[in-house]
Amino acid sequence: MLSEYLPIVVLAALALAFAVASLVVSSLLRPHRPTPAKLAPYECGIEPQRLPKGERFPVKFYVLAMLFIVFDVETIFLFPWAVGFRRLGLFGLVEMVVFIGLVFVAYLYVWREGGLDWNEPVRRSGEREQVGEALRAG
Amino acid sequence: MLGQFLSHPPVELGPIGPELVLAGAGVLVLLGGALVRRRQPRALLLASLAGLTGAAVVSVSLWRWRGHATVLGGMVQADRFAVVARLILLGVAALALVLGHHYFERLGEERPEFYPLVLFTTLGMTLITAAADLILVFLALEILSLSLYVLTALSRRLAAVEGSMKYFLLGAFSSAFFLYGVAMAYGATGSTHLSTIARSLAGQTGNQALALAAVALLVIGFGFKVAAVPFHMWTPDVYQGAPTAVTAYMSAATKVAAFAAFLRVLMTSFQPLTWDWTPIVWGLAVATMIVGSVLAIAQTDIKRMLAYSSIAHAGFVLVGVSAATQEGIQSALFYLLAYAATILGAFGVVMLASGRGEEHTSLGSYAGLCRRSPLLAGLMSLFLLSMAGIPPTAGFIAKVNVFRAAVDAGHWGVALVGVLASVVAAFFYIRVMVLMYMQEPLEDVEPDPSIVPRLAVAVPALLTLLFGVFPGLVLGLLERASVLRW
Amino acid sequence: MSAQEYAFVVLALVGTVAAFRLVTARNVVHAALYLVVTLAMVGGVYLILAAEFVAWVQILIYVGAIVILFLFGLMLTKAPIGREALDNQQRGIALLVGLGVLAGLVFLIQNAFHWSDPKIQPIHVTTGALGESLFRQYVLPFEAVSFLLLAALIGAIVLSRKDERS
Repeated sequence: MLSEYLPIVVLAALALAFAVASLVVSSLLRPHRPTPAKLAPYECGIEPQRLPKGERFPVKFYVLAMLFIVFDVETIFLFPWAVGFRRLGLFGLVEMVVFIGLVFVAYLYVWREGGLDWNEPVRRSGEREQVGEALRAG
Repeated sequence: MLGQFLSHPPVELGPIGPELVLAGAGVLVLLGGALVRRRQPRALLLASLAGLTGAAVVSVSLWRWRGHATVLGGMVQADRFAVVARLILLGVAALALVLGHHYFERLGEERPEFYPLVLFTTLGMTLITAAADLILVFLALEILSLSLYVLTALSRRLAAVEGSMKYFLLGAFSSAFFLYGVAMAYGATGSTHLSTIARSLAGQTGNQALALAAVALLVIGFGFKVAAVPFHMWTPDVYQGAPTAVTAYMSAATKVAAFAAFLRVLMTSFQPLTWDWTPIVWGLAVATMIVGSVLAIAQTDIKRMLAYSSIAHAGFVLVGVSAATQEGIQSALFYLLAYAATILGAFGVVMLASGRGEEHTSLGSYAGLCRRSPLLAGLMSLFLLSMAGIPPTAGFIAKVNVFRAAVDAGHWGVALVGVLASVVAAFFYIRVMVLMYMQEPLEDVEPDPSIVPRLAVAVPALLTLLFGVFPGLVLGLLERASVLRW
Repeated sequence: MSAQEYAFVVLALVGTVAAFRLVTARNVVHAALYLVVTLAMVGGVYLILAAEFVAWVQILIYVGAIVILFLFGLMLTKAPIGREALDNQQRGIALLVGLGVLAGLVFLIQNAFHWSDPKIQPIHVTTGALGESLFRQYVLPFEAVSFLLLAALIGAIVLSRKDERS
């Protein structure tokens, strides 16, 4: 089994050697005359700007990353299931439906709670009135 | 095709019936809170309670389970130990839901996630009491821990978020230890299945050194969850920061679930190594009882004091565990039952006496409570007496039982330390009672006058008295439930 | 030594050095990138042990997704990314505990195998066989995982949404 990976190892070694060799050789051969334009990350295009100090990224990135991980894990489990699908039969199908169903519940919840809206506040509007109503009802 | 589905592999869902009911209820309540436009917290509460009741009914029916001892590929044990532990957990969850509903309603905060999160936590807890494989134990532990981290931060106060963060970091750390312990157990015996590990160790085919390392690491993992010294550091901050209703829930339920799994793992998998692990548990018990009782004296906040008191109680349960006999299991189960009722009730009273949210939790605000609310002061006194182990409360019978189990197993030293720790602990319980009855009120705090949460606090109070006066009502049942086989 | 053992030594060395740099790096982004190297090397060890599927899971989930979450997390915090003194006053205690754990584990493993060569025979498990045991024997843990994911997502939403009161 492992011998199948030999070409990959060789490829990785060659790629590494090529990259290192290119850097070393070019650092030996190139002239060293930096100008501000050369040192800029992009020679043409928009000037990259740092975020103002103390400014944070929107927390929505975090929800997005969590969603990504959840679906990543789900996909990982789909793979061995798909490979053994014929042997697992109906039982495996039911299991997978339950599993995906639960992940779908999570998705539905995130959607309804506004985790997928980029510009809206994460909570739905009109919530405060509902709290008031609940208080009056209780 | 349906026949093939049901027969191969054999699917016996009976023993995880309670978990299936909880899972269904949890998903329904979650979606109900998210999809229905007009949120009705009361409807969510009633649906959750219905789910808990259904799970309890299914659990009771498992008392007479006649099928295989383990089902679903040997993952789940269908025994009476799990039935009893589940019933305690479901009862705690139901009362905590009522308290939490009231807590958030009174604060005017809408937290529809509270109900499904409590159901998911309870699902993890009931699953862990029945898990017969270390992998499932770990997953159940993670389900309950993750939900608890979120529940702690639910009120969004700074102290709550800080407590949640501490709980999460230390909890993740302890999970790593636990997982390493599972790996060691697998390395020693080639299996993660509780009874296979036991067979391998009994037959001397497993590697004893690795197995001992596994025990040590698993003890660390469980020690964090039950808040045994020296793994207790998170407890005061988390219990103080969390919304009081959540504190009531987790202080009672987490300990029951973690101890149930702890007992099962030690008494089945590592039963052949009993002589090696009893000194570890012994040491933990002594350290936990002493440190918990002594540090509680110095507290000036009622929630922190009860947190240290819950640490000390973990030590007393450990005394029962260290006996490593059927009597020990029975005494630990009874202690957990008494402790769960007492601490849930005590935090319930704290919730009602603190005004809105956590406004008045210093000990000073308990001065003269009997003038403002004789009922709350009376209930609190009952719970404090039970914690101190004074008859005629359940706490007294529980302490006597664990000490007797330890002495019968030859650990009279631990029992002696336990008695001394109880004496020290009685001091700060009595101090609160003196405050409530013999001093003038310092602050003018109006206790919450609502009826329903009072009833939710009265139930554990009744149980505390009932089990204190007629312990025979449950001791017989617990004896039949205290059999852990491999 | 066989080719596998040579490969293991290389992977273990690179992984350990990266792990060491991970905890000593002063820039948290660099630390996250060192984590990538360490996790990838662990994936390589799985590959040597013929656990192909697990190795690729390691690369996809840990190297691919978890580290991304770390980097997002770093961006979310207010702390400026850069040469910070990411340190508290407990370096000595941490070192002591770390060395203690290392000594304990070395003693333990030495005690377990007595420096003998634990002839490791990689058992080649195909992904199909893995799936079969996962979906037959380990049905319940598998379904429990979906609840874990659900709880994690609820947590992410609850903790990240804006508080209406303030």
